[in-house]
Amino acid sequence: MARSVTTQRKITNTVIAWFVGFLICFPILWILVLSFKTEADAIKTPIEVLRATWTFENYGIVQERSDYGKHFSNSVIIAFGSTVLGLLIAIPAAWSMAFVPSKRTKDILLWMLSTKMLPAVGVLYPIYLLFIQLGLLDSRMGLVLVLMLINLPIIVWMLYTYFREIPGEILEAARMDGATLREEVLFILTPMAIPGIASTLLLNVILAWNEAFWTLNLTAAKAAPLTAFIASYSSPEGLFYAKLSAASTMAIAPILILGWFSQKQLVRGLTFGAVK
Amino acid sequence: MTEWLENQLPKMVLAPSFIAVLVFVYGFIGWTAWVSLTRSKLLPKYELKGFVQYDKLFASPRWDTAFGNLFTFGILFIVIAMVLGLVLAIMLDQKIRVEGAIRTIYLYPMALSMIVTGTAWKWILNPGLGIEATVRGWGFENFSFDWVVNPDFAIYTIVIAAVWQSSGFVMALFLAGLRSVDEEIIKAAQVDGIPTWRIYSSIIIPSMAPIFLSAFIVLAHLAIKSFDLVIALTGGGPGYSTDLPATYMYAMAFSRGDIGQAASSAMVMMAVVFTIVVPYLYSELRAKNHG
Repeated sequence: MARSVTTQRKITNTVIAWFVGFLICFPILWILVLSFKTEADAIKTPIEVLRATWTFENYGIVQERSDYGKHFSNSVIIAFGSTVLGLLIAIPAAWSMAFVPSKRTKDILLWMLSTKMLPAVGVLYPIYLLFIQLGLLDSRMGLVLVLMLINLPIIVWMLYTYFREIPGEILEAARMDGATLREEVLFILTPMAIPGIASTLLLNVILAWNEAFWTLNLTAAKAAPLTAFIASYSSPEGLFYAKLSAASTMAIAPILILGWFSQKQLVRGLTFGAVK
Repeated sequence: MTEWLENQLPKMVLAPSFIAVLVFVYGFIGWTAWVSLTRSKLLPKYELKGFVQYDKLFASPRWDTAFGNLFTFGILFIVIAMVLGLVLAIMLDQKIRVEGAIRTIYLYPMALSMIVTGTAWKWILNPGLGIEATVRGWGFENFSFDWVVNPDFAIYTIVIAAVWQSSGFVMALFLAGLRSVDEEIIKAAQVDGIPTWRIYSSIIIPSMAPIFLSAFIVLAHLAIKSFDLVIALTGGGPGYSTDLPATYMYAMAFSRGDIGQAASSAMVMMAVVFTIVVPYLYSELRAKNHG
């Protein structure tokens, strides 16, 4: 519902909206600024920080000291691995719920989604023990599995909302023309479902990328993704703001860029389909 | 045979997801519930001993703080995030230019890990840097902003960061709600000369009740699950003044080696979530049966 407003009001509102946007972005921008300053300059007043000379040295140091590349590839493998695995399991389930709904479909869906509301701590310890026994602790495989299971309800839910937008009549028409189930899935459903699958993929990569609870608890040095790596950097024995900022910038840059180029999907995904 | 397969296939493909969620969530919660009734310390024991862990939990001052914090934090966080979200949504609903970009910017904090953005918040909240130094630089020499290191106020810094992270998200939800209000009614009200604030307070906002409810549910479960916020900003300190149930459980399980305590605190959290989520699910199901 958009109301008609005068041009002047429109400009005022736009200016305010962008100012608020700037305020919201400030912490993110500030990380960026600090990452290009020396450690000594980074703990001055904001104006002095801005005036200080810019430098790339933090990025070099972070890479040198802690092998950023390894943590980055851990993040990529864990985020994409868990999402793709989750999609493989969830696509058939969501397909079945959207196109062959039974009386129980909505109940099952709500029940699945409700588990996402439960605090993860309730299942942390049994999984931790299981991981010790199976030797999955601090392994990328283990995290891929856990994050897949954790995000599975969301993946199913999102796919379901997308699949439901595909008109069922088309499938019926195909069936009338004698298409088999396999053809139906392969030639009709898949092409129409791809945008929804892509959006779900994007959202879940972001969720898995940001995941901190499980990564902090189940990884150490070997499989630690970027979140765990940053957490280890901000150790209590003194903060290194400039280096921490450089590490942080490198950890969020992929999401910022990915998010910008897929604004619509990001908005829809983060609001669980409420905003299209 | 083929026909049977086509009939059963939908159920069969649903089964893996169903079973995965069932075992993974409820199976393990069951395990936690069992262990919370034992005297497990460093290693789990399976001999039931009644409610000793819960007695110990409720007698613990640290749990008291964590549980109290959950309510202080939760209520402030939910109320402020909802109010700000609504204000932002109404503002964005006034035909703003490049609205798409603005929406994305507002949602960015939600799309980024708090562990990472916590870096900036530590800088901003740090006494000697950030807000304190800036205001002092403007000439207010006595200004002090030491909330993050003050045990009585540190929890409010968690509220600030949490509100920052989520209000854009609430805004997006409310904006969708505003857009779904029937425009004809608004136009009719405008023609009748009803002032804008009355249109909002009497027509638009009441019709958005379902969205308020879902925003509340989402924010409430975020509040109860909050973990990385605390880890990123204060680590539970100073002392344990910013502990939340999730960090309490974490501390018990991993630094204190007290699985029984960890399990019982997890069960109490679970109970809190259930009291919020179950009525919601019930009303959702009922709405479905009527519609």
